Amino acid sequence: MDSDDLMRLARRLQLATRERVQPLRWRPAADIYRTREGWLVKIELAGVRSEEIELKVSGRWLTVRGRRYDMALVEGCEHYSLEIAYSHFERSIELPCALEQARAVTQYRDGMLLVRIITEGSQT
Amino acid sequence: MNQSEDLLTLPVFPMRNSVLFPFVLSPFSAGRPSSIAALDASLAREDKLVAVVAQRDATVEQPDRDTLYGLGTMAVVKRMVRSEETMEVILHGVERIELIDIEQTQPFLRARFRPVPVTLEKNAEAEALQRELIRLAAEYQSLAQPVQELDIRQIVAQIQEPMHLVYLLGTMLGLDLEKAQALLEASTQLQAMRLLHRYLLDERQIQQLRQEIAGQAASEMNRQQREYLLRQQLRAIQQELGEKNPEEAEVASLRGRLDEAKLPDPVRKEAEQELTRLERTPAASPEHQVARTHLELVLDLPWDETTEDKLDLARARQVLDEDHYDLQEIKERILEHLAVMKLNPTAKAPILCFVGPPGVGKTSLGVSIARALGRKFERFSLGGLHDEAELRGHRRTYIGAMPGRVIQAIRRAGVKNPLLMLDEIDKLGRDFRGDPASALLEILDPAQNYEFHDNYLDLPFDLSKVFFITTANTLDTIPGPLLDRMEILRLSGYSDEEKLEIARRYLLERQRRQAGLSAEQFALSDDTLLAVINRYTREAGVRELERMLGRLARKVALQIAEGGAPQAITPEMLPELLGPPRFFMEQARKELPPGVATGLAWTEAGGDVLYIEALLLPEGERLLLTGQLGNVMQESAKAAQSYIISHGQALGIAKPKAGVHIHVPAGAIPKDGPSAGVTMATAIASLYSGRPVRSDTAMTGEITLTGLVLPVGGIKEKVLAARRAGLRRVILPAQNEKDLGKLPESVRGEMEFVFAQRIEEVLRAAIPGLA
Repeated sequence: MDSDDLMRLARRLQLATRERVQPLRWRPAADIYRTREGWLVKIELAGVRSEEIELKVSGRWLTVRGRRYDMALVEGCEHYSLEIAYSHFERSIELPCALEQARAVTQYRDGMLLVRIITEGSQT
Repeated sequence: MNQSEDLLTLPVFPMRNSVLFPFVLSPFSAGRPSSIAALDASLAREDKLVAVVAQRDATVEQPDRDTLYGLGTMAVVKRMVRSEETMEVILHGVERIELIDIEQTQPFLRARFRPVPVTLEKNAEAEALQRELIRLAAEYQSLAQPVQELDIRQIVAQIQEPMHLVYLLGTMLGLDLEKAQALLEASTQLQAMRLLHRYLLDERQIQQLRQEIAGQAASEMNRQQREYLLRQQLRAIQQELGEKNPEEAEVASLRGRLDEAKLPDPVRKEAEQELTRLERTPAASPEHQVARTHLELVLDLPWDETTEDKLDLARARQVLDEDHYDLQEIKERILEHLAVMKLNPTAKAPILCFVGPPGVGKTSLGVSIARALGRKFERFSLGGLHDEAELRGHRRTYIGAMPGRVIQAIRRAGVKNPLLMLDEIDKLGRDFRGDPASALLEILDPAQNYEFHDNYLDLPFDLSKVFFITTANTLDTIPGPLLDRMEILRLSGYSDEEKLEIARRYLLERQRRQAGLSAEQFALSDDTLLAVINRYTREAGVRELERMLGRLARKVALQIAEGGAPQAITPEMLPELLGPPRFFMEQARKELPPGVATGLAWTEAGGDVLYIEALLLPEGERLLLTGQLGNVMQESAKAAQSYIISHGQALGIAKPKAGVHIHVPAGAIPKDGPSAGVTMATAIASLYSGRPVRSDTAMTGEITLTGLVLPVGGIKEKVLAARRAGLRRVILPAQNEKDLGKLPESVRGEMEFVFAQRIEEVLRAAIPGLA
């Protein structure tokens, strides 16, 4: 086996991992709470401008998607390290009830998107 | 996927050897300042987008439109870490983009791109191909990495999109740049799948071959192990049966030889010790082989074997006369040596050196001497020998070590007093591997060679009884100290008559016998032989002549073998048998203009005629010399011109004011030697006086500034060359008159010789009408 083959093998080993193919959109983390009036979904969306967030409800699915842009903090600086995911994100959460009839109220607090889902039943 | 047709302006990250596919996450390292600047520009963007485009040529430092592929991948920078000189990034391919135009090249590339999504197809072929790809990929993976924890089926099961699958597999295969770029450029899903299918088939085959090769290597190992086991078993069986194994039998045979051998005591002691060591060394050990071959050499060498010299001088004379025509002087010298050996057997064996042109019989004289003395004859050539170890042997610690050539020759001879001929001592080399001449000095020196130490043998061997003879074409290149040890015997070239005689007596007979012909079948008249000598050979010796006679004999043999009748070969038949004549009798120039004189030169291959030409130059010029003349000839020319200018009036030449250009034709051949002074002076005198030199006269000799003519060497060769050229009058230095004795009587009778002591005598003899 010559050095080229070894390189190729090494690359294959390194590449043959589950993480190689990822959805293009990043997936924000979410917590789900059961509340008296229904559900509260907390989604970690720090640094996302509120106008870039899109909320969609379909059947039992709640989908949050949008895009996070970087922001210029200081004039003339350059990145030294980058870990925060930018560009498009999307997260779909299934709740154990139909959501079309529910009412959703959103609030953006401390970098978290809070989606309150008030179900009809709890309302009555 | 972005379906928009809008153009995007993106910084470009050029890739030297890889391609980033859409949907794939890959780590990259950027080192070029322009690449780092492009990534910085991407990071400065809110969306962190960058265009990844492969370079057509990895060696280009600053790629441009022509050196980049037209299709790349838009990517998002997912992670980034900066180190001192590089930037490590993880890029996530987004989609295919086509390069439209370049907007800027400095400090980094920035270009406009158009997204070009792949056309997706959903049909039976696409479905079938997808399944086949997954099957092939799993097969390939099991061949390439059989113990891989991750099952490719598991990975691909999670992938919904066919193009994701294609690009992931494309990445996992580690395709080379052209293949990967072709996969990226596939514009439809089916195209991409077909291409990947082909690549997977290729890769699977490569892996299969690799496994086969690995399998073969493994079975080779098994075979060796099996052999080892079998040998061990054989040994056990032999021990059981009371038989010896081959190695033991070999050692026992060496022991037997050692017991019987006549060895000097110190040598025997050494050999005994080595044999004991050998018995203890395992046969598989490399030392075993080394020790065995060394012991074999020690036992083969003739430590005490000699032949008895037949010092019967009458018989020796007869042998020499039988084998060699003429060469009276040489034969006398050889007989003198034999006489000394007879009267004083304890005298150190002489070292003779035969010097002369190729093919005059130096080696065969050696053979004759050996035959006359009843000694064994061995020879080897020193030509081109650079490495001292070739003579003195390599130390046994080196792999492939061997004894030196002298010890090898002694071993071949089987006696310690052979006649050893060292051919071509003038072509001995010298370089960083040591100086073989100094080793040779030790070998030839009777004061040292009675205990010659060969590095391989590592025991002193007595070379003092060896009769050394060396041969050389010229003495010029033999190192002085070496020359000092030897007694020089010169062999000159042969005249046509001598060649004819040698051909008649020896060559013809030998070639006739080799071709299997009878005397009637192969008969050559003297005319025919002379025609072969003159028209097909030009050499001082007779080697080429013998080759030509051999060719003639084979032609005749062919004719007879085909049923032809034997017939005498006439000169007219030669062109048909040997081809068109190679040489024509050299014709001397019929008329010489003023300023041209005919000189004679000695060369390693015999003599030659040289025309020295002189031409007047405008006043003020001194002397111009061309024709690749060496220092000695240049000085001869200067001395000649100075002499003629200062003695012009006495010679009836008006005081010359102009300069002279002297040229010796055949300018590509370097010439040097102390024998052209006379010819140069004659050419200059002829030029200044305006009187031509006699065209039937050739000359040789050196002059001093006071006009004395000094003797030169090679008279026989020079005279023969003049005669070959049709010149019958030769001017020679008076002191060379004695050398005419070496010329055959017939030649002497045919030629007119003028002997000169001073240059004026030369000029008067050469230029008619000069005062």
